[in-house]
Amino acid sequence: MAVEAIKLEKVNVTFTQKNEKVDAVKDVTLHVEKGDIYGIVGYSGAGKSTLVRVINLLQRPTSGKVEVNGEILYEKDASGEKIISDKKLRARRRKIGMIFQHFNLLNEQTVIQNVAFALKHSNLKEKHILEKSNKLLDLVGLSDKADVYPAQLSGGQQQRVAIARALANDPDILISDEGTSALDPKNTVQILDLLKEINEKLGLTVVLITHEMDAVKRIANKVAVMEDGRIIERGDLISIFTNAKEKLTREFLGGGSAKAIATLQEYELGKLAEDEHLVQLIYMGSKVSEPILIKLYRDFNVEANIIYSNIEVLRETPIGTLFVVLKGTEDSRVKAIAYLKEQGVIIKDVKEQDVKKNG
Amino acid sequence: MAELFAKYFPNVISQGWSGDGGWLTAIGETFYMIFWPAIFGGLLGLFFGIGLVLTDTDGILPNKTFFGIFDKIVSFFRAIPFIILLAFIAPVTNFLVGTQIGTLGALVPLSLGLFPFYARQVQVALKSVDHGIIEAAQSIGATFWDLVFDVYLREARSELIRVTTVTMISLVGLTAMAGAVGAGGLGNMAIAYGYGRFANDITFVATFLVLVIVLVIQLLGDFLAKIFNHKAV
Repeated sequence: MAVEAIKLEKVNVTFTQKNEKVDAVKDVTLHVEKGDIYGIVGYSGAGKSTLVRVINLLQRPTSGKVEVNGEILYEKDASGEKIISDKKLRARRRKIGMIFQHFNLLNEQTVIQNVAFALKHSNLKEKHILEKSNKLLDLVGLSDKADVYPAQLSGGQQQRVAIARALANDPDILISDEGTSALDPKNTVQILDLLKEINEKLGLTVVLITHEMDAVKRIANKVAVMEDGRIIERGDLISIFTNAKEKLTREFLGGGSAKAIATLQEYELGKLAEDEHLVQLIYMGSKVSEPILIKLYRDFNVEANIIYSNIEVLRETPIGTLFVVLKGTEDSRVKAIAYLKEQGVIIKDVKEQDVKKNG
Repeated sequence: MAELFAKYFPNVISQGWSGDGGWLTAIGETFYMIFWPAIFGGLLGLFFGIGLVLTDTDGILPNKTFFGIFDKIVSFFRAIPFIILLAFIAPVTNFLVGTQIGTLGALVPLSLGLFPFYARQVQVALKSVDHGIIEAAQSIGATFWDLVFDVYLREARSELIRVTTVTMISLVGLTAMAGAVGAGGLGNMAIAYGYGRFANDITFVATFLVLVIVLVIQLLGDFLAKIFNHKAV
């Protein structure tokens, strides 16, 4: 069985603001396995940031259980509230690195001092603290900037310092709270790749909060979608991508079926004749391509007319989506579909009304 | 030059340098009344300012009771006009320093008049520290004292220097009023000797010296605030 790095059980967070209760997180159970890069997506206000702050208890939940690396940090149920001591909590927090949208570096301390600050209580001698800080700056590619102040760095560089700081105490978990949202596209990609590299090299579990699906598509292996304080859908990235059930999930995923259906609606491409059948084909990797469609015609006498196609890369795996109209006798169409399934292609029926305007 | 000065500032010269009513005496008294209240009132103000920020609802030790106490004390002392405070706390002054008059007797009211003003200034300065930075420090396991010294005070350093400058300048203003309890100083020189004896030249020179002190404090403060600021401009 896979080892769970983070276990949140039935977590609720309620804020009281001027006699008004706001439920920021509602009954969320989330298990993150060791080595996962777990993406949590949702619009702002969905409760993502509040939820991840529960992991290191920057936000204390109203009820529920928080378990990190098998140790219960917080538990509140009918029998009462249990929380680990402040001293222990500080020690555990050092094993959970965190980076933020606005980097949150100490402005009045140099880059190296910022990293060394995280090691203040590490029992290392000053000389070793500096050595380690330098090593960390090297890891994030900023060893030449050790003695400058954060304000002199670009956003991407500041986030690298923040990553070095977050990694200082050799954590097992790294939380990114919109860590790339304030960066330009080029820096976003670089920081994401750095996170992935850390995940692979150091075996860190990464929790990635974002409203940008592209970030999740690039590095996450699992994804959860949050709306209104709840997780409405979750699973491994590819199955969510190919088989999203919730409308919001499809909206976030963009690219795939949502965009296709919008396109089909726009041009009323869903009008079918008696012997036609509109299907969505999803294939992974590059194993499937045109030869199959040719084979459909040659062996099954089914014409395949591509009306929409798209390719998307999820964690280096290309995922193709085709909307094709299959034309042929019913018998031959059934055989053709069976053949496609054999080839590992995911096939979904597209109902005519799905692609009608205003449908 | 000296002749010209003697012609236009006869009373200034007759005041002499030292002794009772002398210029050096007055300058010395003013510095005395700036220095000690700045230390005592400053520390008290800093304590209350830090207390207000830490115990506030978004602080790191939220506590409604303590915040309420700090807030009420500061508001109470801020509400009393300084000249009335001088008289109002005279028994306390007497108890603390053994006299309620003279420069020594002025130290207590000056410190108490200064601290609420400084406490509010410190509160505003510390509030300028981005909550995200505090949260980030907490996320790497910073202790309470790390947060106070390395985050709040160090991050707000330049802002604290700025508000200290403003407070020091207002302290110079307060010392002028301390003349009312016979505390001497340049303010007293301008009022008692200059205004009271129709010797406008004394008022002029005393005012000029006060302005020089204010200007030096301002320039020094600006300079220090600048070299201790590493935030983006």
